[in-house]
Amino acid sequence: MSEILQALAQGFLVGSTYGMLALGMGLVYSVSGIVNFAHGDFVLLGMYLCFALASAFALDPYVSIFITLPTMMAVGGAVYYFLIRPIAGHHLLMVIQLTLGVSLLVQNGLLMSFGGQFHRAPSMLESKLWLLGPVVVRVPQVISAAASFSIAIGLFILLRSTDIGRSIRAVHQNARAAALMGIDVGKVRMLTFAAGIGLLAIAAALLVPGTPMHPSMGLRYTAITLIVVVLGGMTNFVGIMLAGLVIGISESLGTIYLSDTLGMILPYAIFVIIMLFRPQGLLKSA
Amino acid sequence: MLEVTSLFAGYGGRPVLEEVTVRIEKGRLVGLLGANNAGKSTFIHTLSGVVPAMSGRIVFEGEDITTLSPQARVERGIIQVPEGRLVFPDMTIRENLLLGGQHKLARPKRSQRIDEVLELLPRLKERLEQKAGTLSGGEQQMLAIGRGLVAGPKLLMLDEPSLGLAPKFVQYIFEIIEKLHREGLTVLLVEQNLNLTLRHASYCYVLERGRVEVEGASSIVRDDPRTKKAYLGL
Repeated sequence: MSEILQALAQGFLVGSTYGMLALGMGLVYSVSGIVNFAHGDFVLLGMYLCFALASAFALDPYVSIFITLPTMMAVGGAVYYFLIRPIAGHHLLMVIQLTLGVSLLVQNGLLMSFGGQFHRAPSMLESKLWLLGPVVVRVPQVISAAASFSIAIGLFILLRSTDIGRSIRAVHQNARAAALMGIDVGKVRMLTFAAGIGLLAIAAALLVPGTPMHPSMGLRYTAITLIVVVLGGMTNFVGIMLAGLVIGISESLGTIYLSDTLGMILPYAIFVIIMLFRPQGLLKSA
Repeated sequence: MLEVTSLFAGYGGRPVLEEVTVRIEKGRLVGLLGANNAGKSTFIHTLSGVVPAMSGRIVFEGEDITTLSPQARVERGIIQVPEGRLVFPDMTIRENLLLGGQHKLARPKRSQRIDEVLELLPRLKERLEQKAGTLSGGEQQMLAIGRGLVAGPKLLMLDEPSLGLAPKFVQYIFEIIEKLHREGLTVLLVEQNLNLTLRHASYCYVLERGRVEVEGASSIVRDDPRTKKAYLGL
C-alpha cells in the first residue's frame, strides 16, 4: 500500500513538471501554430545556464532564475524574430525542419561548451526530504510541483482576464480579426514565443536540483512534452496539466511495478492507447 | 475626412484595384457597391492596412496614412466591421466587446462605450456571458458592429453587413446603421445589396473589376444604366 502511495506521489510531482514543460509548447502552438521540436533542448540550455552560474558564482539554481528567465526570453524572442518569423506561414514541414535544426544546434553547442560528461548544479535544498505519513518526497520536487501549478493558474488568469491574455486568445482564434482590432499580431506571436521559452528557464531551474544534465537529454524532454501537449488537446491548458499528471503517474507506476526500462515505455504505451480512443485529446480543445 | 487618390492595390504583385479615387465627407453615409470580386473587400482592407497599397495615396483627416500599420489606423479611428463578422467564437460577448476597445487610445473610455453599445443593442446585454460562437448570424453581426463601436470609430466601415442574414435582421441592422449615421458617425457601407444601399446612402460608388465605374448621388447612381451593367456583368 505504501508503495503505491509513494508511486502516486512521485508521479504527481514529476507529472506536474511535465505539465509545465508542455504549457510553454501549448501556448506557442495556440498562437502561432508552431510545434517547436527544439523545446527540450531549450530546457537543457536553461539547465546548463544554471550550471554555469552555479560553477562561476556559486548561485543556487533557484536564485539563478532571476538571470536565466530574462536571458531565455531574449533567446526565444531572437529565435522567433530571426529564424521562425521569416518562414512562418510556409509549409508546416519547413517550420518543423527549422526547429529540428535549432535542436541540433543547441545540443551540439552545449556539447562543445560543456563536454559530454554529466553535470550537476546542486541546490541547498537538494537533499531535503519530507515525510508525509508513509510517503517520502524530495523537497525540490514539491517546490517544482507547487511552482508548476501556480504558473498554470497564473497563466489561466492571464489568458482569461487581462488585455494581453485576450489579445493572445484573439490571435489564436482569428489572426486577421485580431489585426483589425488594432492588435499587433506579429508582436503578440513573438512575445508568446519568448514567454514559452522563458517558462522553460523556470522549468529548468526547478529540474536542476537532483537531475544530472547531459546535452543529449533534450530529445527526451521534447518527446515527453509533445505527448503531454497532444494528450492534453494542444491548446487546452487544463487538459495539458492533466495530461502531464497522467504521464508522470504512469511513468512512476511503471518503474515500480514493471522493470526500469519497461516502466519508461509505459507512458508512451498509454499515450498510444488514449490516442486510439480519444484522438482529440483528454479534454475537448478550447 | 477621407481622400483616396489613384489607389492601386492587390495581392502578390497583381493589382485588384486600379486607379480608385474615393472621397468621403465627414458625417456622410457613403455606399460602395459592386458585384462579387469587384474589389470591394480589397478596397476596405487597403483602408484598414491589412492589404498594402501599391501606389496612390490615402489621406485621413489631413494625414497621409498610406503606409501606416493596421494598428495605427485603428488608433486613428478607422474601424472595420469585417465581412462574415469574424467575431471571436470561443470568447464571450463581453470579451469580444472588450477586445474591440483594447487599443491604447480606446481603453480609458472602454467601459463607458460598452455601456452605450449595450443600450443601443439590448439583445447583447441579455447574453453578455454567452460565447459568441453560439449566437445566430444576426446577433453576431450586432456584436461585430458593437465591437467596432467600442473602438471609438471616426469612420466606420461595414463590409457586407447584410450577408447571409434573415430579412428581419437585415432591416434591423440597417436601422442601427441609419441611427449611428444620424448621430453624426461617418459610415462607409460596402454592400452587394443594391436597393438597400441606395436607399440609405446619400452618395455611392460602383466598382467594376477594380475600377470606379459610376459615382454620384444615390438617385443618379440608381438610374445610371452602367450601374445595372456593373451588376449583371454585361
